[in-house]
Amino acid sequence: MATAIGIDLGTSNSCVAIARRGRVEVLENSYGEPISASVVHFGDDGTSLVGNQAKACAVQDPENTISAAKRLMGRYFFSEEVKKAKAVCSYKIVEGPNHSVRVKVREQALAVPEISALVLREMKEIADARLGQPVCQAVITVPAYFNDNQRQATRDAGRIAGLEVLRLLNEPTAAALAYGFGKGLAQRVAVYDLGGGTFDISILEIGSDVFEVLSTCGDTYLGGEDFDDRVIDLLAEEFQAQHQINLRKDRYALEKLKVAAESAKKALSADDETRIQIEGVAKTPEGAALSLERTLTRVEFAALVSDLIQRTFKVCDEALQQANLTVRDLDGVILVGGPTRLPLVREAVEQYFQREPKTDVDPDQVVAMGAAIHAAALVGEEQESRLLDVTPLSLRIGVAGGLAETIIERNTPVPIEQTSVFTTFKDFQQSVRIRVYQGESRRAEENELLGEFEFSGFKNARRGEVRIEVTFEIDTDGIVKVTARDPDTAQAASTQIHLSSGLSEEEIRGLIDKHHAPAAPSAAPGLETSGATLAAVASVAANPPALAGAPADPFDALNACAGEIEFDAEQLEAAANIPLEGPADSAFELDPAPLEIGAAAAPSGGGAGDAGEIELDGAGADDALDVLDEADLDSLAALSDDEAASAAEDSAPEATTQRRAAPAGGLFGSPDSDLSIFGDEDDEI
Amino acid sequence: MGAVAAQATTEIRALAQILDELDYYNVLEITPDASASEVRAAYHRATRRFHPDGHRQIGDDMRPVLGRIAKRVAEAYSVLRDPRRRQVYDQQIRGDSARVRMPLVQAEAEAERQSRDARLGKTPNGRRYFVLAQADVARGDKVAAERNLRTALTFEPDNGVFKDLLGQLRGKR
Repeated sequence: MATAIGIDLGTSNSCVAIARRGRVEVLENSYGEPISASVVHFGDDGTSLVGNQAKACAVQDPENTISAAKRLMGRYFFSEEVKKAKAVCSYKIVEGPNHSVRVKVREQALAVPEISALVLREMKEIADARLGQPVCQAVITVPAYFNDNQRQATRDAGRIAGLEVLRLLNEPTAAALAYGFGKGLAQRVAVYDLGGGTFDISILEIGSDVFEVLSTCGDTYLGGEDFDDRVIDLLAEEFQAQHQINLRKDRYALEKLKVAAESAKKALSADDETRIQIEGVAKTPEGAALSLERTLTRVEFAALVSDLIQRTFKVCDEALQQANLTVRDLDGVILVGGPTRLPLVREAVEQYFQREPKTDVDPDQVVAMGAAIHAAALVGEEQESRLLDVTPLSLRIGVAGGLAETIIERNTPVPIEQTSVFTTFKDFQQSVRIRVYQGESRRAEENELLGEFEFSGFKNARRGEVRIEVTFEIDTDGIVKVTARDPDTAQAASTQIHLSSGLSEEEIRGLIDKHHAPAAPSAAPGLETSGATLAAVASVAANPPALAGAPADPFDALNACAGEIEFDAEQLEAAANIPLEGPADSAFELDPAPLEIGAAAAPSGGGAGDAGEIELDGAGADDALDVLDEADLDSLAALSDDEAASAAEDSAPEATTQRRAAPAGGLFGSPDSDLSIFGDEDDEI
Repeated sequence: MGAVAAQATTEIRALAQILDELDYYNVLEITPDASASEVRAAYHRATRRFHPDGHRQIGDDMRPVLGRIAKRVAEAYSVLRDPRRRQVYDQQIRGDSARVRMPLVQAEAEAERQSRDARLGKTPNGRRYFVLAQADVARGDKVAAERNLRTALTFEPDNGVFKDLLGQLRGKR
């Protein structure tokens, strides 16, 4: 009998559940606890310990105790989040290949998915023990607002843990499923999910057998641990004022502060005030032990964190707006995540949504329960509910001028596919570099770079004469795939963008082998299969570094190729039908300035040679002007001064902001094609 | 493979073959006058039939075919669930080109442009008097605002935004 579990892989805590015979059950660890800390401790004997026991090691051995690894998942080393983590983490964060993040423990550099894999494996082992049989299939939840990089890294972690990941399910969607499953409801609900490290809000419509996400928004930099940080800051500042000793500099003291802050926060869920007491937190220069003692009241705590809570409601506003709803249109609010136990949070939620939130499901377990229900449905164990989710972030492509054009807007239902036509930027350009981003900014570098690949082998022609069809696909896991194709030569390149976890396919296989001598059959497609994949995409013109991102799943690539051959005629026809003014229309109207920058910079680009700029077909072509009708020109003239000014502003700060993106430009080893180089040079002249 | 699965496979194959000739209404099996709730119900119905989760036992050769349909269903819904985009799409399929698909960004950009036109007016004179009326409202001069709005409406009798503002003003007085 197939057994599939649901795992909530949280920043602070994880939980595993199973649905069978119409019941959902949270599986307790060997200590009888329903949730386990997402903490890994590495012992000096080479063993690792996971869960609440590992968390207890943090105070004695902070350097070798890894917590909150989820915050580093799928992040680049130079990202803000990693910088922030480096400042507060007791363990060592170092840079790995391709600007990935590695955690250094006992002279070993571990990839982040490797650490999360240990947590997942612990969850799997809890299930194995409770069910009395090995489990190899799972649905793993992710914050709805996770980008493609973070999702890929989570999927890698699952594979390394020896699990076949049936689906990456968004946490709020899972919670709604647990809440509404089998109840035959017809409701519109908001899921307010404040976790340890992330905040998500999803608006869903729950029907008898369909759960449709209407919109989702989030903040991956906001969670319960930020509440703890505020308390830590307060304690550390007061201590410094009193004793001139910075506790933040001392790893052991910092760990003690963390423990104290977290338990104070939890105590304030029930009590109006709590006593914080840390014996021997530091020593005077003379060697006398100092203790920290303080009473923290609920009112004080509220003052410390109220701005964080208010920040969640800005995100809620956005989600409601995206769904075209107001709070009055909702039938209920579901709370998810430990921090929603705080009366402070509950009261604020009640005030915002103008109704009492539902508290009948445990906020720490509801996500795992939903994942379990979906896992059972996916293996045919449970009655099926269709989950119709959306993509949380807009998918974009980098174009000339350091801009990123939207291809698929956020909150579009998945799975989805869109094809856009692009053209070359220069005469006789040999190749284009296709950069894919996720985010809400028109400026490329303000979005998350998912990956890039080079496409060449199209006909040798003047600028604007080449047609390059780029197809963007988002699957039901929210994972992105991009294919480029020249309809004239039928040359194709395809990639499932897959680089940011910093683990190549081979490395992942190596890790699977390392952690599981007899690998689970479904988890490790053989090298031969991979070879076949590469052969099948023999026409791929991408350079070798781009190929490092060979598709994680060979089937995907094979299917994609098959699809391409099969739909050749269709794609040609579709291409012929795409009007030149197309999506570039609005870009031209509102934002002509960046185009000029691109054009002016090109000659001075000198050595950049075949640099792979691409631009939206029509955006720079002269005939775009011809096809603007009178109404267009009219509205162009009608642009107020304000709009014109903001359009100009749009292009102005480019040089400064692009410098920050420089590491991203060189990310995958091709410095020649970075558009931002032009901007920088301009700036220096 | 059971008889039901075989029938589903036949249905998927047949639909995939004609997919590119179907407009979004055909894809969701609704009429062009379907209401918003009918659009949603149709989307749910279509996903029950074509969502990949419902066809785990399907053959590997059929998976991309099914995926194509599922993606087109989501695309159709993305356009038809949004009244602005839907209006733009309706204009497109009534036009000469008779293209049945519309890039989502284009639908959005066009809808954006149309709503901006509607806000400010499609004609220079309509726009001018509407702007004057807005200024009057800001000053609190409702009589002047109403007069300017009525003038704006003589240039654009169908402009809903103009009418709404006029209605509001009359309601307030």
